[in-house]
Amino acid sequence: MIFSLQIPLLLLLLVTAAGAIMVKDLMSAVLLLGTYSFFLSVVWGWLGAVDVAFVEAVVGAGLATVLFLLTLFGTAPKDTRFRRPPPSLAVLIVFPLLGLLLLYAAKDLPEFGDPNSPASVHISPIYLEQSYQETHTPNVVTSVLMDYRSLDTMVETVVIFSAGIACALLLRRHSK
Amino acid sequence: MTTFFFFILVLLTVLIGAYLYRVLQGPTIFDRVLGLNGISTKAIILLVVIGVYFERVDMFIDISTGYALLNLVGALAVAKYLEQKGLP
Amino acid sequence: MEILSIIFIVTGLFFLIVAAIGVIRLPDVFSRSHAVSLTDSLGAFLMLVGIALHEGFGKNMLKIMVVLALLYILNPVIAHATIRAALRSGLKPWKKENS
Repeated sequence: MIFSLQIPLLLLLLVTAAGAIMVKDLMSAVLLLGTYSFFLSVVWGWLGAVDVAFVEAVVGAGLATVLFLLTLFGTAPKDTRFRRPPPSLAVLIVFPLLGLLLLYAAKDLPEFGDPNSPASVHISPIYLEQSYQETHTPNVVTSVLMDYRSLDTMVETVVIFSAGIACALLLRRHSK
Repeated sequence: MTTFFFFILVLLTVLIGAYLYRVLQGPTIFDRVLGLNGISTKAIILLVVIGVYFERVDMFIDISTGYALLNLVGALAVAKYLEQKGLP
Repeated sequence: MEILSIIFIVTGLFFLIVAAIGVIRLPDVFSRSHAVSLTDSLGAFLMLVGIALHEGFGKNMLKIMVVLALLYILNPVIAHATIRAALRSGLKPWKKENS
């Protein structure tokens, strides 16, 4: 019963992605990408990955849409309409083959929620059993992200922060 | 009760499909924005119902709050953009 | 309590279905905005109240009420901003041809 809702959700996701590729103007494509993030977030929530769902909802659906819109603010109206050449024969042949290859490879992945898969026997039980005693954080993902890998996370944040400052300096408006 | 909530989940997904038709089809950009607004409302309810279904409402309700707040920012940005620039 | 919550949720679902039909069938942006803002808000209100009753009193009910208040304030605000932008960008409201 748990897997039967995934199929309509993934169908909605596919339809949205195809629509975002096929619409004519960039504005609609941005809105469709926002919708895509909504559905993706619901899928993450359905799979139980609440942290990823939260990030997807806040960054993907909220902030990315606003950033794309700010970019569209700075472009002329003629730039936001685009005509796309029809795909060449090589693309039409190679990409379905690549997709089939990926599907074939995905058959070898362990089942979702399989307790004997390599990912859940190696180090995950240690985190699940001991992270609360060691870090006193109720959420395991948060304890890994903010405690075991806290230096990594901090430097990541520094990189993103400096990138944001550089963008803000480069793109600021010169007010007289 | 679980079956009832599962039924609600499926029905809400179908309703989202109706709104998605409007987002994909919509003759003007405002139709798309309105459809996106409706989809976000449905997604908020959907997440709360998923939380009830898994009996972990306290976790899922936080995502819903984030959605509800961020949805406002996105939609207002779209409205401001279109008001200043006119119809694309 | 359970019966009451089921009644609320089913009524809310009814309004949500009506809103979805309205979004598909109505002729232009200005009439569709009624479906999205009014009917959708009422449906969401009833459904979330039903879910809060199902949860019972406590922290979860309070959180659901916060989401409810946010939805109930922000949904009409967004619809209003969108429709004002539509009107100012020169879209004409739909009229019946023979009147």
